[in-house]
Amino acid sequence: MPDTLSLSFKVADLSLADFGRREIRLAEHEMPGLMAVRAEYAATQPLAGARITGSLHMTVQTAVLIETLVALGAKVRWASCNIFSTQDHAAAAVVVGRDGTVDDPKGTPVFAWKGETLEEYWWCTQQALTWDGETGPNMLLDDGGDATLLVHKGAEFELAGAVPAAKDDDSEEWRVILAALTEALAETPGKWTAMAAGIKGVTEETTTGVHRLYEMARAGTLKFPAINVNDSVTKSKFDNKYGCRHSLVDGINRATDVLIGGKVAVVCGYGDVGKGCSESLRGQGARVIVTEIDPICALQAAMDGFQVATLEDVIETADIFVTATGNYNIITAEHMSRMKHQAIVGNIGHFDNEIDMAGLARLPGIKRTNIKPQVDEWTFPDGHSVIVLSEGRLLNLGNATGHPSFVMSNSFTNQVIAQVELFTKTDEYALDVHVLPKHLDEKVARLHLDALGVRLTQLTKEQAAYIGVPVDGPFKPDHYRY
Amino acid sequence: MAGPLLPLEGQQIAQRGPTEAVESPPRTGATSSDIADPGLALTGQPGIAWAERAMPVLGMLRAVFAREQPFAGLTIACCLHVTAETAVLIRTLTAGGARVHLAASNPLSTQDDIAAALAAEDAVTVQARAGVDRGTYYEHIHRILDSAPDLVMDDGCDLVNTLHEERPELIGNVRGGSEATSSGAARLRRMAAAGSLHFPVVAADLSAVGRMVDHKYGTGQSVLDGILRATNTLVAGKTVVVAGFGPCGSGVAERARGLGAQVIVTEVDPVRALGALMQGFRVLPMSAAAPLGELVITATGSREVVGAADLALLPDGAMLANAGHFDVEIDVIALAEVAVEVNRGVRPYADEYVLADGRRLILLAEGRVVNLVAGEGNPAAVMDTSFAVQALSLAWLAAGQPADAAPNALDRVLDVPEDIDARVASLTLASLGTRIDTLTEEQRRYLESWRQGS
Repeated sequence: MPDTLSLSFKVADLSLADFGRREIRLAEHEMPGLMAVRAEYAATQPLAGARITGSLHMTVQTAVLIETLVALGAKVRWASCNIFSTQDHAAAAVVVGRDGTVDDPKGTPVFAWKGETLEEYWWCTQQALTWDGETGPNMLLDDGGDATLLVHKGAEFELAGAVPAAKDDDSEEWRVILAALTEALAETPGKWTAMAAGIKGVTEETTTGVHRLYEMARAGTLKFPAINVNDSVTKSKFDNKYGCRHSLVDGINRATDVLIGGKVAVVCGYGDVGKGCSESLRGQGARVIVTEIDPICALQAAMDGFQVATLEDVIETADIFVTATGNYNIITAEHMSRMKHQAIVGNIGHFDNEIDMAGLARLPGIKRTNIKPQVDEWTFPDGHSVIVLSEGRLLNLGNATGHPSFVMSNSFTNQVIAQVELFTKTDEYALDVHVLPKHLDEKVARLHLDALGVRLTQLTKEQAAYIGVPVDGPFKPDHYRY
Repeated sequence: MAGPLLPLEGQQIAQRGPTEAVESPPRTGATSSDIADPGLALTGQPGIAWAERAMPVLGMLRAVFAREQPFAGLTIACCLHVTAETAVLIRTLTAGGARVHLAASNPLSTQDDIAAALAAEDAVTVQARAGVDRGTYYEHIHRILDSAPDLVMDDGCDLVNTLHEERPELIGNVRGGSEATSSGAARLRRMAAAGSLHFPVVAADLSAVGRMVDHKYGTGQSVLDGILRATNTLVAGKTVVVAGFGPCGSGVAERARGLGAQVIVTEVDPVRALGALMQGFRVLPMSAAAPLGELVITATGSREVVGAADLALLPDGAMLANAGHFDVEIDVIALAEVAVEVNRGVRPYADEYVLADGRRLILLAEGRVVNLVAGEGNPAAVMDTSFAVQALSLAWLAAGQPADAAPNALDRVLDVPEDIDARVASLTLASLGTRIDTLTEEQRRYLESWRQGS
């Protein structure tokens, strides 16, 4: 497919493309869902005409997602949704493309590298949203909702006539966003309003982004329909739980190489992510203590055999702290000042505000010593220190390589199906936040069974009638919780 | 020597001298059984048949013994829990030519229908009734000793101890014995150290196979089973304190965690405590664990592990269970003393002790070994392995393998010979349809060499 866009891109080092391609090739084998979708839609090209802007961790697995979208006919521009999560070799390979070379890249434009500044991050997001000769993308694929946020805030401020001034208690990141939008509004008036009007919809990957979407839908400010991919069973119950179960200890190990067995680990939050984290830490021999605000999740944790305490109860005695709440200010600077010497503090929630890094940096007399990339020792005036992973950003991506391919194949197959749904059946999706219908969720699962040697039992017609479901599903009511 | 079995509250234990109450029968031994109801014999058969199906290793040994007759003409006195699994062992021994006299190794663990079924067999007498008092318990041991056994098979060392202390005239006739439990083996070693053990005894508790399969996996599962049957309590979400992290305790702790408990381990041994910690268990001294313990399980082989001071700390509703062989791990006497009211049998095998401050503590199985009293003991497959070790050890002793009575008394407590362990493990693997590799000649030489380095 000829690409009329000039291939502008910005990645760390195109010469890493060969390494990236080798890893992509291995990942493709581990992502049977995506490969099955490629085969299924090769002829019909359902995404022909789609201009997809993606904001999602630029990893090897995401490369397989991007190339699947392209294989279905889409044009794609990509940014990462986290300043640390890009795998530079994957980004390089996507830019170079299957048929290109380092000197003559023929792949997909990517704007992402590991270790962006906040300014660079939002510049990258804007680049991914900017399409030559078009008002912008006609589809968004978002993870955490940053692309969606930028479009919505841009349009909102254009309507208001100006970008508001930053307030004293605004976060550093919000100041950067306001500055970026101030510049953009001056440069191209009406850009965001036009862009929002041209977008058919967004498919959102994660809990945090979904939360933002529902807020906007409730407030009546949502500008295009959204599919909540996160709440597909084959996403949240798999990616969040099994993915984090795999990558949490991977990240801690790579960052610290501390023996986890025998340690006391605190997991804040016992949602799907917290459940996976708790299980993996226990599997390594840690004694895991859970903190929760929700009585149902707290009871689940207790029934699963975990001690449930408040952070205050254990702040001075635990060795490892992991936040997995989706909330903010879970671990404060004051908390960290009371932790054991060399306690390990990390976050696996989407945003970096679960641990109050700004507050930590502001403490008088605090000293930061970088041990290695994404591992910092923060020493308090009294001489004791804590080890903070990935600057409080999600450590499984910052310190390790995130979820493994097989898990991401489930999530991303949902993403591709959601993109096809929204793009080809735009009229069927009202201005609201939707979840994929059950039969598509079941389809995603089905596409992954063969690779694991799973043999599924088939309902007889009589059995299906007995429990009142079609022979080929959907097998569960929408409210079933798995 | 004071027996290890403590009197139950309110019971007057008649101390019985070695010569009173029972006439010394002739050498041919007790010919009549003392069981609850001979009419239960048929009732016991299906249970034994069921156990036989789950005990393929003993089944294989039975065929070998039937052919080789290692016990031809020999009398074996067995002091064992009278259960269906034990019945399969007894049949294996009698198939090998033995005449077997069986007494219970615990006053509460006897299954009366099994006792009746065994007593109906030709070469077997049984002295066991469920719920006998301490006097009758020892009377039963004396009755099987009356047979002047050639071999003894013990479970807790009450038989060997009674034989040495009260029936020394029988010692000369005994070729040797086997002991199943850690508690019993510990007593044996103390006897040996005092120079008071006069024939060789194989301590099967140190068998590698026995430790692994029996203590860790068998006891681990059956202790929880016994507690569940006695209480029907939901383990998930409970804080369970496991005292002792030996083979039994670690098995109990793992299974409790598997059921969703938060498990706290108490230990006196730093190596074991570290092992517990590395497996993710919380390790606390009992004084700190007791206030948290909703279910406290002792598995130490020691005594007063839950003592008066700990009882004062337990939360209202706490349940106490003992997995160790003897009923001294939970200080039942102290519990009875501090209780202002005792409600016996709030459920079968569960007694409620009401304390002065209103707290209610639930003692399971009177503090006796809970998996045997409230449950059915170890699963048959586990007993299959451990009994096979003991049966082969007895056959080895019957053949006069160990130099008769080692000169050093300490040497009379024998480890299970390695080849017996290996044979039982191989038979067990075969019964599970598992095949393993064999060292090549080159590998064997490599492993025996020391010249070849990097």
